[in-house]
Amino acid sequence: MLSHLYLSAVLPCLADLAEQDPAARALVAKSDASISLAVLGGPGATVYLRHGRILWQNGSAAKASLLLLFCGERHLNAFFSGKKWAVPLPVWGGWRIGLLGRFAKLAAILEAVLNGDEATLRSAAGRRLHTRLSLIAAGLGLGALARGDPESQQALRSVPPGLAAFTIDGEARATVWFEHGSADCAAGWSDPPRRPDVTIAFANIDVAYRAMRDELDTMAAIGSGDLCIDGLIPLADGLNVVMERMRIYLQP
Amino acid sequence: MKPVDNRYRRSQELFARAAKVIPGGIYGHASPAVAVAGAFPYYAERARGCRYWDVDGNEYIDYLCGYGPMILGHQHPEVEEAAARQQRDALCLNHPGPVMVELAEHLVSLIDFSAWAVFGKNGSDMTTWALQVAREHTKRRKILKVTDAYHGIDPWCTPGHGGLLEEDRVHIHEFDWNDLESFDRFLKKFRGDIAGVIMTPFHHPAFKASQMPAAGFWAHIEAACRREGIVLILDDIRAGFRLDLRGSHRVFGFEPDLICFCKAIANGHSLSAALGRSELRVAASKVFLTGSYWNSPPPMAAAMACLKIMQREDTVAAVRRAGEQLMAGLIESGRKHGYAMVASGPPAIPFLTFADDPSLRRQQRFCAEVTRRGALFHPHHNWFLSAAHTPQDIAATLGMADEAFAVLRDEGL
Repeated sequence: MLSHLYLSAVLPCLADLAEQDPAARALVAKSDASISLAVLGGPGATVYLRHGRILWQNGSAAKASLLLLFCGERHLNAFFSGKKWAVPLPVWGGWRIGLLGRFAKLAAILEAVLNGDEATLRSAAGRRLHTRLSLIAAGLGLGALARGDPESQQALRSVPPGLAAFTIDGEARATVWFEHGSADCAAGWSDPPRRPDVTIAFANIDVAYRAMRDELDTMAAIGSGDLCIDGLIPLADGLNVVMERMRIYLQP
Repeated sequence: MKPVDNRYRRSQELFARAAKVIPGGIYGHASPAVAVAGAFPYYAERARGCRYWDVDGNEYIDYLCGYGPMILGHQHPEVEEAAARQQRDALCLNHPGPVMVELAEHLVSLIDFSAWAVFGKNGSDMTTWALQVAREHTKRRKILKVTDAYHGIDPWCTPGHGGLLEEDRVHIHEFDWNDLESFDRFLKKFRGDIAGVIMTPFHHPAFKASQMPAAGFWAHIEAACRREGIVLILDDIRAGFRLDLRGSHRVFGFEPDLICFCKAIANGHSLSAALGRSELRVAASKVFLTGSYWNSPPPMAAAMACLKIMQREDTVAAVRRAGEQLMAGLIESGRKHGYAMVASGPPAIPFLTFADDPSLRRQQRFCAEVTRRGALFHPHHNWFLSAAHTPQDIAATLGMADEAFAVLRDEGL
């Protein structure tokens, strides 16, 4: 399960990381390449580095500039959790040392931001980045959990179907959505495909920050208007439970 | 939802203070998160008859009735006098008072299958204790309940998510209302290990329309329980005394082994009760039951008065008539404005939903609009009628609902 979360919920955060963080953007400013990550006999994903922008795609691309192979899901999980020994096997493009190095640096920044390490959280910009990326990972993680985590699937059985969107007021391009009940448990970091059945809106980045770190009294926040639930409340409530699973999986 | 005007200003101010010192600000079923935050009052100050006033001075015709207890209306003089008279003698004693015996005798005479009664303060006190009695009596472990049914706040049944262990529900199994196949599957799977089946007389889940029992549903459950030696527990906490003074099983033609009451038993005074068959008496005597205020005489005196008034004035019929008038009027008003409405549940405990409203936004907007006009309609929880609701109150409510439907139509909702 964890490898699926890394590939389909954590890795896509690179796109927003490059968009929001100058240091991350500078790392890929001159790159025009693609990197595929694949688990032997398992899932994969590809990121495209396009002159300062990063795009994510599900599945490993056969013609990627760099193909990184992991012997198993534990190998990939160890890599994403920062274990030094968990070096992937560059089965194609291994001579592109520079690209490999840049990707390693990107992965390190991503890990620091998502884990909320001290240096990241010291500044308002770091906290903002941590919040945005945590929201993306949590939202996209819903899809992965719904597809593969038995406990999440059990919890979702009593949740009404529908499209849920999580958003931060005052933040540009800060909406993640998940469609519960769709055949592929679709999720995305973009405008939702239709009007959501429920929208969960954080009043500002500070409220979202506290929510992402489980430091928010959400019931009080709803009452005071800091957290606005518009629409199908049982869907929001049920997804909140599943998001807790994400926290358990990804805790450092 | 942020408040759009000053209508609930004091409610909001109090909530801001509460949020600093009370987790959730307001917790449980009264939490703003359960309705639509900002669109309903948060705090109330006083009440009389079928009306109450929030802290901003707004007046409402009350269709929640304190979430059920106010069967005769707020501050009923006879009930209040009975409680006050008792309180002048004693509020909290070392021993039970005579009124406890009188009340037990009265309830046992009222509820046909029962031979004994015990008392608590809240619904959860009784439902959780009833499960223990069923387990003690049968020496079995399993409990069957209906999916989405509310039976209280204890770990085996709370709708909340926090603080629970997997072990809390290892022996709790859920089947779907009106789905006898799912019930029978559990019956077969756990034959010989099912202690009890706990159910409400009709299904009233939050956020959904209520469901009445299908023909033969209760008869099948009852027969299976008798055949398998399973204790049938009727959670009549929400419906008790509103549908039939002798217990809601009388409406649906079956007999439970245990029945739990609360809410309407004492017109708002804190009291709950469980009654059972004589065969369960020994088991009941073995399951420890107590609480700091559970012997307090005034709520029991209030219950005695409340039960006698309900009997004298045929409250069940009056409440049913009020509910029928309300729901018929709402359906017609909705139709006039182009909305297909669904009236569910019995008229005394009705709920109104829109036929096609998967996001609940119409429901929420409609209830908020009626509420701001002066009749409290909860968007996600069934409503309650009381004997204090007059035909004039219902007519006034329907006028408000008509305006609310017009608002929805104008907004294209």
